[in-house]
This record gives sequence, C-alpha cells and structure tokens, in this order.
Amino acid sequence: MSLKTSTPKINRRFWPYLLIAPASFVILLILGFPVYRLFTLSLQQFGLDEIISGIPVWVGLDNFTILIRDPEFWVVLRRTLIFTFGMVFFSVVIGAFLAHLMVRMHPIIRWLLNTTLILVWAIPALVGVSIWKWMFSYEFSIITTTLNRLGFDFAQRNWFTNPISGFTIIGAIVVWGAVPFIAISIYAALTQVPKDLIEAAAIDGANSHQIFRSIIFPILLPIYVILISLSIIWDFQVFTQIWVVLDSRPPSEYYTMAIYAFEKSFGLSEYGMGAAIALLMIVALLGVTWFYIRKMIEIGETRER
Amino acid sequence: MRDKSSVSSNISGIFATILLGFPIYWMVTTSFKSREDVLSTEPKFLPSTLTIQNYRDAFAREGFETSLRNSLVVVSLTVLVSLFLATFASIAIARMKFRGKRTFITSLLIVQMLPLSALIIPLFLLLTKLQLTNKLPGLALTYVAFILPFTIWTLRGFLAGIPNDLEEAALVDGCNRIQAYQHVLLPLMAPGLVATAIFAFIQAWNEFLLAYIIMQSQDNLTLPVWLAGFTTRTGTDWGPLMAASTITALPVVIFFALIQKRIATGVTAGAVKG
Repeated sequence: MSLKTSTPKINRRFWPYLLIAPASFVILLILGFPVYRLFTLSLQQFGLDEIISGIPVWVGLDNFTILIRDPEFWVVLRRTLIFTFGMVFFSVVIGAFLAHLMVRMHPIIRWLLNTTLILVWAIPALVGVSIWKWMFSYEFSIITTTLNRLGFDFAQRNWFTNPISGFTIIGAIVVWGAVPFIAISIYAALTQVPKDLIEAAAIDGANSHQIFRSIIFPILLPIYVILISLSIIWDFQVFTQIWVVLDSRPPSEYYTMAIYAFEKSFGLSEYGMGAAIALLMIVALLGVTWFYIRKMIEIGETRER
Repeated sequence: MRDKSSVSSNISGIFATILLGFPIYWMVTTSFKSREDVLSTEPKFLPSTLTIQNYRDAFAREGFETSLRNSLVVVSLTVLVSLFLATFASIAIARMKFRGKRTFITSLLIVQMLPLSALIIPLFLLLTKLQLTNKLPGLALTYVAFILPFTIWTLRGFLAGIPNDLEEAALVDGCNRIQAYQHVLLPLMAPGLVATAIFAFIQAWNEFLLAYIIMQSQDNLTLPVWLAGFTTRTGTDWGPLMAASTITALPVVIFFALIQKRIATGVTAGAVKG
C-alpha cells in the first residue's frame, strides 16, 4: 500500500513540468531567444558579412546614437504616432458608436449589421488589402469611375502619390478591419449591463445621464481600456497593409516604425540597426502592454478564486 | 429603460451595413463579372452577366495550386502540433499545483504581446541558422509558438469550467491519472479543442509577414504571400485576383462564423494576436 501511494507522489511532482515542457521549449526557442537576440543584435553591427562569418562586431550603443541623431528617425516616429492615433481613434469611436446604436436597433437590422460585422472581421487581412486596392485602383476602379460619373475629374488618379490620401486609404483599411471586433465586444458588454439595476435606478428617480454615469460607464470602462490598449498595440505595428498596398516598395514618405525597421534589416542588411529600431518600438509599447498584462493577470486571478 | 428601436439608429444601422459590407460585396461580384464589366469606365454596381471564368483563370495561374497546397500543409501541421502541446500545458496549469506556475502564466501573457514586426529580425536570423527557412515545417513551427499562448489560455479556461470531481470519481473507481484524463477530461474538452483548432487554423491560414520573410522560393509560397505578389508580377488582372481572394476568404469566413463568440470573449479575456 505504501509503495502504491509513494510512486504517484513522485510522479505528481514532475508531471506538471513534463506537461509544460514541450510548449515551453517551442515558445522559448521561437519567441524567447529572439527577444534576447534582439537586445544583443541592437548592440552589434550585423550585416551580410557577419551572417556569413558568424562573428558579430560589438558597437555598444552606436546604433541608438546614430538613430537619435538621424532626423529621419524622428520624422518616422512622429508619422507612426499620428497614424496610430488616427487609426485607434476612428476604430474605437466608430466601433463604440455602432455598439451603442445596436442596442436600439430593430432585431432584424441588428442581425444584418452583426452578420456584416462578423463577415468583415473574418476577412483575412491580405484579402482586405486586395479588395481596397482594387476599389482605389487608378483605372476602372469603383471609386474613380463613380467620382468621374459625379462630375469630378479623377481619371487615372493614383491615390498613393500623395502620402496624405495614401495614408487615409491605408488607415481606412485598418479601421474597416478593426471596427467589427470593437463594436461586437462593446455590444456584448452593453448587453451584460443588468437591466434590473437600471430599472431600480430609474424608479429611484435617476435620469438617463446619471444612469449612464453610475451604472453603465463603470461596467464598460474595463472593456474600453482593454480595447484601446489592444488597438494601440496592433495599430502601432501595422505592416502588411502599408507594405502590400504599395506593392512591397513603399516610398520613404510611407515609412512607419515597422516599415523602417524592416527596410533597414531586410532592404539594407543592417540588422543591428533594424534591431535597435525594433527595440525602441517595444519600449514605446511597453507602457501600454504592461497595463494590459496587469489587467489580464487580475482577470486570471479573480477567475481562479 | 426599455430597448426600443429608434428610427435614427435603424437608419444608421442600414447605412453602416451597406458601407461596411460593400468591399465584400465588391470582391464577390467582381469575381463573377465578365472582363468587359470589370474593365468598364462606367461604374457597374451589378454585373451584366455572371461567369466563373475568373475562377478558372485563378486556378490556371502559375503558383496558385502550389500555394494552396502549401497553405494546407502548414495549417494542418500548425493545428495538430499546437493542439497537442496546448492540451498538455493547459492540463498542467488548470489541474495541478506546481512552483513556477504563476511565472509560466505571466510569461505566456507577456509573450503574447510581443510585436511580431519587432521580433521578425532576430527570428529570421535564428531560422536561417537552424536552416528552417524555406521549409514548410519551419514556418509551421513558428506559427505554433505564436499561437500556443492563446490556445493554452483558452483551453485552461475550458478546463476551469469542468468540475474536478469527475476525475476524482474516475480515480476512486480505479483509473490511474492518465486514464482519468483520457476518458473523462479529454471528451469534455472536445468543444474547447475544436474552438482552439479553428482559431489556430485561421491564424495560420491568414498570416502574411512571417511567411513573406521565411518562404522565399516560388514553390514555397503560402496563399497570402502569393496573393500579395499577384499584382506586382502581372499588372492588374482584377477579376482573377478577386476570385482568388474569395477562395482564400471562404474557409476562414465559414470557420470564423462557428467560433466568433468564443474569439470575441477570448480576445478581451485572454489576448489574441491580431
């Protein structure tokens, strides 16, 4: 009997580690190691020669000082921040607007909109880019032909020559893809606001503004915080839409941090410099990320209880 | 306060439906349009004739079938391997107490938030060194790593909802621990496994950036990378491109509709990479 109970005891101590080992190994290899390598790489001069020889040249903080002195870096950073802010703002505002409207829609119209939202959400990013490229193509596209029909002269207009109109279209692609998730999440949260609580408050004489402020808003706040954090994290690093819309050759007016790091590394083979930019991106996102992770851990812990 | 529908929100709702849905409508109708309709200088909101010629052209185009096959291989590998690894890990964190559990969970969440576009540089150098570039299993392995945190987290949530007593009962009835998991826990986990499998499918099927960097030879492209190169190589052949896009989107749309609710709650309560 004593033998029988002692074996599982030893097992029990090692089982969990055995179970998480394969997953941990893959994550450490493919995600953990590159994080460490990103740090070391940013302190090295690492180009094609170094890839072949395998011997890196350590340069200390040179990559960072070169970057900070480079006016282009600041232009790119500013552009990325403005672009990110615009996309986050419009996707959250439109998403929230739709969600709050959905509560008051006729069920059939709500179902129509909800189905459309799910469809749009499901469209792969690359398919979305292809469609928008076609809609804004300079020849035969629906936007150009319709505008011509309406009497504007936009024949043969390349919308991407001007970075402002180009970024507007790229931003629209991103926002179009982001709105469904935001709208559906907020709508889901709205439907979870307990009705009896609102009714009780109304009976007690609260007006709709008071009800919103003291009942609906506190329930919605955490979901808004999460959605905005996630949007910032996602939109700050938008790559695919810019890259593919501009046929994999974005002109320098279209460089955002992600494109800039990519071009430095894979275009110019300055991997050390690219890593330095990427590291600065992570640092810039760290505040937002940290906030988000803390929120997640809190949720995880309350569930555990 | 009653949920009564108001005229203005109904009108806005219809307007939003049309505006948001239009690009998808446009993709599908273009894919069935004749060449004359596609290349018309007048806007043609309705196709004058319907044809499947664009689909024939897309399939006949160089590389389409190869990349479709590649995508299927990578996706199957990713789904299978990530499910296996995630099932093990989630049982450990949902059902067992061990030192370092908190660290493990926290690092899953942190890893989840790492921006892919920042990691791509060292990742590319690592995969080059391991000679995993240009290989379908190499790409699948990276997808597994990126998908694991979410799948583990989701399965853990599922397990948390299954009462402990069930396995205990099985243990009392003379099962050993592995049998208890196999016969009691695993069947109950099935819906969670299906949901995470679909999630892994969608992520791997849609992914562009990693595939673009890692798979450089023409025989190794996945569908999104092939789609991205469509216009640059051949000029503008929009009909077949929209047909290929529709084919690419179709499986995702179907699968997505099945698990949309779970993803919606999963993203906000468990983090998904976008």
